[in-house]
Amino acid sequence: MIVSKKDIPNFLDKLISEYQVFAPVKEETYTLFKQICSGADAALDAGNTKLPAKEIFFPQSEKLFSYNVSEEGARLEAPVDDQKKVIFGVRPCDAKSLTLLDNVFNNDKYQDPYYLTRRNNTIMIGIGCNSPASTCFCTSVNGGPFDTKGLDLLLVDTGDAYVVEVVSDKGREIAEKAGFAAAADANKDAAAKVKQDAVVTCQVNIDGLKAKLDVNFYDSIWEKIHEKCLGCGACTYLCPTCHCFDIVDEATDCNGCRVRNWDSCAFPLFTLHGSGHNPRTSNKERYRNRIMHKFKYFVDNFNEIACVGCGRCIKNCPVNMDIRVVLEDIRGSEARLDS
Amino acid sequence: MKNPYLPLPMKLVKNFTETEDKLIHTFTLQYLNEEDEKSFSYMPGQFAELCVFGKGEAPFGIASSPTEPGFLKFSVAKVGVVSTALHLMEEGTIVGVRGPLGNYYPVEEFKGKNVVIIGGGFAFTTLRSLATYMLHPERRGDYGDITVIYGARNPGLLLYKEELAAWEQSPDINLVTTIDRPVDGWNGRVGFIPAVTEEVAPSAENAYAIICGPPVMIKFTMPVLEKLGFTPKTTIMSLENRMKCGIGMCGRCNVGGKYVCKDGPVFTRAQLNQLPNEY
Amino acid sequence: MQKLTAQIKDAAKKLLEEKKVDLVIGFAEGSLPLRGTPFFARTSEEADKLTWSRGCENNLANYLRKREDKVAVVAKGCDVRSIVALIKENQINRDNLYIIGVPCNGMIDRKKVNAMLGGREVLAMEENGDTVVLKGKDFSETVNITDLLHSSCQDCRYGNPVVYDELMGELLPEKGEDDFADVKEFAAKSAAERRAYLAKEFSKCIRCYACRNACPMCYCEECFVDCSQPEWIGKSAANTEDNILFQVVRVFHSAGRCADCGACERACPMGINLRLLTRKMVNDVKELFNAETGVNMDDKAALATFTANDPEPFLVKE
Repeated sequence: MIVSKKDIPNFLDKLISEYQVFAPVKEETYTLFKQICSGADAALDAGNTKLPAKEIFFPQSEKLFSYNVSEEGARLEAPVDDQKKVIFGVRPCDAKSLTLLDNVFNNDKYQDPYYLTRRNNTIMIGIGCNSPASTCFCTSVNGGPFDTKGLDLLLVDTGDAYVVEVVSDKGREIAEKAGFAAAADANKDAAAKVKQDAVVTCQVNIDGLKAKLDVNFYDSIWEKIHEKCLGCGACTYLCPTCHCFDIVDEATDCNGCRVRNWDSCAFPLFTLHGSGHNPRTSNKERYRNRIMHKFKYFVDNFNEIACVGCGRCIKNCPVNMDIRVVLEDIRGSEARLDS
Repeated sequence: MKNPYLPLPMKLVKNFTETEDKLIHTFTLQYLNEEDEKSFSYMPGQFAELCVFGKGEAPFGIASSPTEPGFLKFSVAKVGVVSTALHLMEEGTIVGVRGPLGNYYPVEEFKGKNVVIIGGGFAFTTLRSLATYMLHPERRGDYGDITVIYGARNPGLLLYKEELAAWEQSPDINLVTTIDRPVDGWNGRVGFIPAVTEEVAPSAENAYAIICGPPVMIKFTMPVLEKLGFTPKTTIMSLENRMKCGIGMCGRCNVGGKYVCKDGPVFTRAQLNQLPNEY
Repeated sequence: MQKLTAQIKDAAKKLLEEKKVDLVIGFAEGSLPLRGTPFFARTSEEADKLTWSRGCENNLANYLRKREDKVAVVAKGCDVRSIVALIKENQINRDNLYIIGVPCNGMIDRKKVNAMLGGREVLAMEENGDTVVLKGKDFSETVNITDLLHSSCQDCRYGNPVVYDELMGELLPEKGEDDFADVKEFAAKSAAERRAYLAKEFSKCIRCYACRNACPMCYCEECFVDCSQPEWIGKSAANTEDNILFQVVRVFHSAGRCADCGACERACPMGINLRLLTRKMVNDVKELFNAETGVNMDDKAALATFTANDPEPFLVKE
């Protein structure tokens, strides 16, 4: 199928009457996913958003429930957001990150109703990346600029129009309802050409990385690697696969609500025991955990790397800690196999 | 979809000062509805998030045993926001309980075996649950000898003193209590847990050892247990790490790839040997 | 720049080879165009990676607190001011620190580069005297460096290190006084306008604390935002007022200690205009106490000294 770019606002406006529609919106110097009221508000050519699409499903701050407590008992209200949503213009790396987060929020024992209800009620319409940035390395971590994981529809930008690839039944339904025209062979060829030309230039060799991480927990490499890291949470908050959170009460007396906020393994308080003991004493342990979590623990638990190669951490780190360099350094280090 | 974040409202019926230093209180909580009790089906070794509305929630091991119907018991040290609020709480107040969470002591595997329980300080809460569970008249026959070695700095810091006194008299359990330094009026043993364990020398034959206590106690007792013949598979520990969600999502309590809240808190020494020492 | 780089390498190698220091903290070439990244050299071979460019923007004073080892630091003007302030606060032992001073006439702001290129990605930047060539896929643009400097560098009057053990290159000509025109312009707005502007800026805050952690002067063992007993401030980034409160308290806490290096604003991933607040404080300290942070070793920190005849106009209003 195919849709002309000038028809996109109209397509979005129709969706808006039925769904909450989220799309990248221009904010001064970057874009963010926001709910749009008009199809014209979507900024589609601006590359990846500053914050990943995860925030739509797992907001930085979210009320879990409100409560009113009296002598007789407690009245809890936990409204779960079950509004139908469409995410338009999500990039393949962000779409894939959600399939990774699904493992966490739908684990072997528990389901997170807030995240999963949103996931189940959301249609994901992605746009492939014709010109991946120099910081993108999706193809090194089992992704790609036109990867369809986590998407219902994938749009391929062929200049004046998007060639629409149907990925799921949900996607087919929405495309048919929108009345997208059939793509001519020429359009399909153009899309194929675009895909072929979109080269992710940056390759990170991760062969043998996992094997190394399996044995190098006590290796001296960790003493050096973290050294310039400031221990702030910028990389974790901008990361599409980081999912750590804190739970706090916001209350006055017996009325209040329980809220969860993003948290970061980079912060010392994250693991501090009530006794004062901290199992991750210094930045070294905390940085090691971040790398281990993404490239070893997550692989052990879910057989997937918890990194989609979006490059946000690279572009935004205040001291240019570059995860690509870090991984290379680890891979190239002499791991003590006996440790 | 069941919402794992919602606490069960319960009534605080007893706020009991457990230790002489007043830093540990034992809280007895009662269900508000009968159905709630049915939905809260737990085993010794599990924990729950106790919530003080307006202050937040914190995880504590369940000190009562499922063989004690009608209430839940928690012994809590005053260290943080939630525990401080609990200590100051008036009886009759409504609190929240979220759980039961985590795995439990492998009581099925213990059947037909001797069980050695070693505890230090206030890390005796889920061990009390375990001992009480096994001592229940309907279950006592399932297990061989039950030995409990329990120590504290001084007699006033031992938890559950009345129960300990009853256990002293019971033929069903071999209780050894010890304190760090001699005190007037104390007729029991004096000495640290590792040394006392070596003296008591429980047999590792057909036996499991379960050990909970401060890190330094664990560190020095482990070699003793090894010498006695307890293997990594027959040595069981319960870990503590800072937790929030209790359901393996919030990311802070991991030891290697395992979450203490979801995959633990109970681990065998053999399992822990596979993990880094971040606890 | 190449000359400076060579000089820095030589100085660092000499210090390490003669075992005068255990470690040299400077910059190595980073992974992005014209980006220096903090680098820790412990051997002469490692020192060979040291570099100097218009991308060495981090304030390295941040890595110098409470160190046991003997350290040399490659420090530009603002780094040195922070170092001086930290020495006065007993966070740095001057005897264990060797300052390799580098006169600096400003660092390039990649956010400005990106804004100028309007979404096109810069793949290489080449310095060429007063201009820089920005190169990307299918484009090459030559721009005046002064247009791309960090605003903190444009305002900076202390590009020359005020204290050093060894100077790289030549001292630069002194600049005139800072007129704080930006602060005055903002102060002249109505309260409602100021409030609206701050609300807009701080609605962007994600509470990653990059500003705090990048600041060499933010070293409290427990930051007030992290404290839970009492909980001074809400933890949620959704509350703009709490975000403002966080920054305002942080700025108050840096009164007389902030060298206006701009590290906080550079670190902010969300592009918040943080220096509006820090500069207001710097301006106030200058006007009220005639004090500037870290401009010499002799002055006491503004809030660490008083005289009986202090006017205290902020306490008593006639």
